[in-house]
Amino acid sequence: MERVKTGIAGLDEMLHGGFLPLTANVVEGAPGTGKTTLGMQFIYSGIVQYNEPGIILTFEEFPQQYYRDAASFGWDFRALEAEGKLRVIMTSPEVTRRDLESMGGIIESMAEEIGAKRILVDSLSHFERLTRDPIELRSLQYSFINALKREGLTAVITHETPTLFGQTTEGDMNLAFVADSYILLRYVEIDSAVHKALLVLKLRGSDHAKDIRRFEITPRGIEVQSKFEGREGIMSGSPRRMAEYFEQAFVKR
Amino acid sequence: MNVTSDDFTARLMNDMDPRLLDFIKNKVNSFIKWDLMRFFYENPNTADTVENIARYAGRNAAAVKPELDELVEAGVMERRMVGDMPVYMLSNDPEMRRLVNDFITACEDRHFRVKAVYHIIRQMR
Repeated sequence: MERVKTGIAGLDEMLHGGFLPLTANVVEGAPGTGKTTLGMQFIYSGIVQYNEPGIILTFEEFPQQYYRDAASFGWDFRALEAEGKLRVIMTSPEVTRRDLESMGGIIESMAEEIGAKRILVDSLSHFERLTRDPIELRSLQYSFINALKREGLTAVITHETPTLFGQTTEGDMNLAFVADSYILLRYVEIDSAVHKALLVLKLRGSDHAKDIRRFEITPRGIEVQSKFEGREGIMSGSPRRMAEYFEQAFVKR
Repeated sequence: MNVTSDDFTARLMNDMDPRLLDFIKNKVNSFIKWDLMRFFYENPNTADTVENIARYAGRNAAAVKPELDELVEAGVMERRMVGDMPVYMLSNDPEMRRLVNDFITACEDRHFRVKAVYHIIRQMR
């Protein structure tokens, strides 16, 4: 089956080759976990490794911030824009919503202009200011995701969780139903140090790795490493050694 | 022939790339427009409403709207209707984008900035 590779070695392996084409792939995590970096790497790798131009659609975050952040990994986004392989678009959710509803909109025109195949939407959390009604919000997210697919784009969509450690709220999980894949990034506290964990929760239409992996943000971007060995409760943010779990379950009763 | 100090100042202040001189005199002829040019130079694919652009630029929407409309008239910006919302963005014309880039790059030079300020203040009289 054809795959859209993220260019992040360990992640593509977990996804059994990459995302499926024309899908919406949500990356969810607390601030600073690496959602935007993962998305930028997906766009950058697409352009330089797979000749797939891309769009970064940002709400509130200034494009100049992306140019700076990308430069810290050695990715020259300004040069890619000048070459017509990238567009970093800043707008608002209300404009985006109406733009994608109309024919020949701004995003559609820019996607056509550079032949975009990939898009990073950073972040879908801003759509929550359009409505307080969870049913209407889910409908808006669904329409938005379908519009991106209609434009021939494979999307990485970031979504913020308010809590630094631990579980996602029920409201956040609504997005998991409309997305084609769902990746969780989490802070994990082990031995008084904070690590980062990555889990592919869902990949519609394909098998995927179920283990929880460590990852780091290195000077070259995200590197997914080995899985957490000998620990349970990783996604709670405060894992325990399996021996403690065993003891709690069977010995201390 | 007598050369007055005003003539001398004008000649000195006009001493720049004629394209940029025309750009300052006829297009970016206010400090708000200058601010907007810097913002769109740094964030060239921004497309948004007056209210949001004003917020991004740290200005008042009522002050920004007439300036954006004049930039549209001058061909520096474009205004498109998205549904029923007017949305402003930098012109996609490569020559105009080059001019904006050249203007902001030239502004890194203090002497150029002094000349630009002189012309903008004269426009505001």
